[in-house]
Amino acid sequence: MHWFNAGCWIFLFLTGLGLIQNDDLQPFTSWPTILRIVFGGGANLLLAHEIVGITWAGGFLLYGIIRLKSDVIPFFREIFNVDIHRDFLWLITKGIQMTLGYRALGIIAEKFGFSPIIPDQGFYNIGQKIFAIPAVFGGIVIVVSGVTMILSQVGMASTELVQWAILIHFITVGLVFAGLLIHVFMASIAAGEQPAFISMFTGSVPEDYARHHHKLWLDEVKKS
Amino acid sequence: MNKQLAMVIDSSVCIDCKACTLACKVENNVPEGKWRNWVKRSEPDFNKPDWMVHSTSFHFQPGGCMHCEVPTCVQACPTGATYKDEKDGAVKVDPKLCIGCGSCIPACPYGARYRHPTRNIVDKCDYCEKRRARGELPACVVTCPTKARVFGDINDPKSDAALLLKKNQSVRVINKESDTKPNMYYLSATAPLNWPVKAKMPDPIQLWKMAGPLIWGIVGLNAIGVLIMLGKQILMNDKAPETDESHEETRQS
Repeated sequence: MHWFNAGCWIFLFLTGLGLIQNDDLQPFTSWPTILRIVFGGGANLLLAHEIVGITWAGGFLLYGIIRLKSDVIPFFREIFNVDIHRDFLWLITKGIQMTLGYRALGIIAEKFGFSPIIPDQGFYNIGQKIFAIPAVFGGIVIVVSGVTMILSQVGMASTELVQWAILIHFITVGLVFAGLLIHVFMASIAAGEQPAFISMFTGSVPEDYARHHHKLWLDEVKKS
Repeated sequence: MNKQLAMVIDSSVCIDCKACTLACKVENNVPEGKWRNWVKRSEPDFNKPDWMVHSTSFHFQPGGCMHCEVPTCVQACPTGATYKDEKDGAVKVDPKLCIGCGSCIPACPYGARYRHPTRNIVDKCDYCEKRRARGELPACVVTCPTKARVFGDINDPKSDAALLLKKNQSVRVINKESDTKPNMYYLSATAPLNWPVKAKMPDPIQLWKMAGPLIWGIVGLNAIGVLIMLGKQILMNDKAPETDESHEETRQS
């Protein structure tokens, strides 16, 4: 499901960007021109964007229905499982460690009187959760606004609503994409995350990796 | 030089028969209640002495999409579904790219556009593209009994339209606050001369112009952040002080 999502996202992002052809709204002016040559016209580009868009939304809907109990509900339970104190401290300490390093973390922690030990995290760390929540709800907004535009093509004549849907579609995609850059970096490039990257293909992580990054989850797995 | 299809109108001979609007409707299957072209009229002013300005008579003014030089409708279209064709200078709508969002409708000060109720796209004058493909003139031009409408390529010095423009003085009917540089010329004088409606960008498009740089700024900042982190990771090596907690160490052991 992750790779279905990723594939759709890349395709939809690139084609969607190509659909914006307006000097006042498009900073990458040659991209729409290139894509329209590749697809053989703006009409085909729009059609491809809509077909993949509906496939993406439909795929998630189907997935949501079939795997409701096994995946979806546990996923939502997990991403909303936030321990304010522990997770806030994690954000502070992890943030300092990643940007300034362990030494700086030790110094700053001592100065401000908090523990330099990065708190343990569950199946997802709070950073992942902070991205997961807007990604899910952003996705819903993207689908609803996208469907609104398609409805316009099949007879919904409320032009003002459609115009707002276009703007909301753009803004939401932009914000989720901004988060996506960090998501991709953390998952594939960031130091010490190689086992997580490999796990995306194998489905498992080494125990020492789990202990270091997702200790609360490891403890739970071990208990059951 | 590229073509610039245009209409040159002698409104002084217009008798307000509205045959042009009907011919257009029939030719282009324009739905009930919608029009691609029109005939406006001046309001007589009885306060001024008529012998000075002929103000107590009606003046009729045929019009339609003016295929402007600065098309505000094109500026309002997010996808380029409405565009000015460089080959003939006409403003066109790609019916398969247009989703009928209607952003262009208020952006046209002349009200030359409408949302087609069954095709669900924006429709407007295309100078009778199908007729022109057969070598015929637009329906409104052919129908006009007084030949008030003259159509042609004004960049071709031998065309009727260009010759008329050359021999006569002409004016354009514009809104002073939003001059779209229309390609519709009125010979000598016409009335009304000042177009009352201003081009209006829909709020979402206007907001988009402001929100766009903000959104791209956020994306850019994140991209820069990620690149800095990547550079730092390549150039610096930071290890946890407690070796037993670090998986880097664990892997080595």
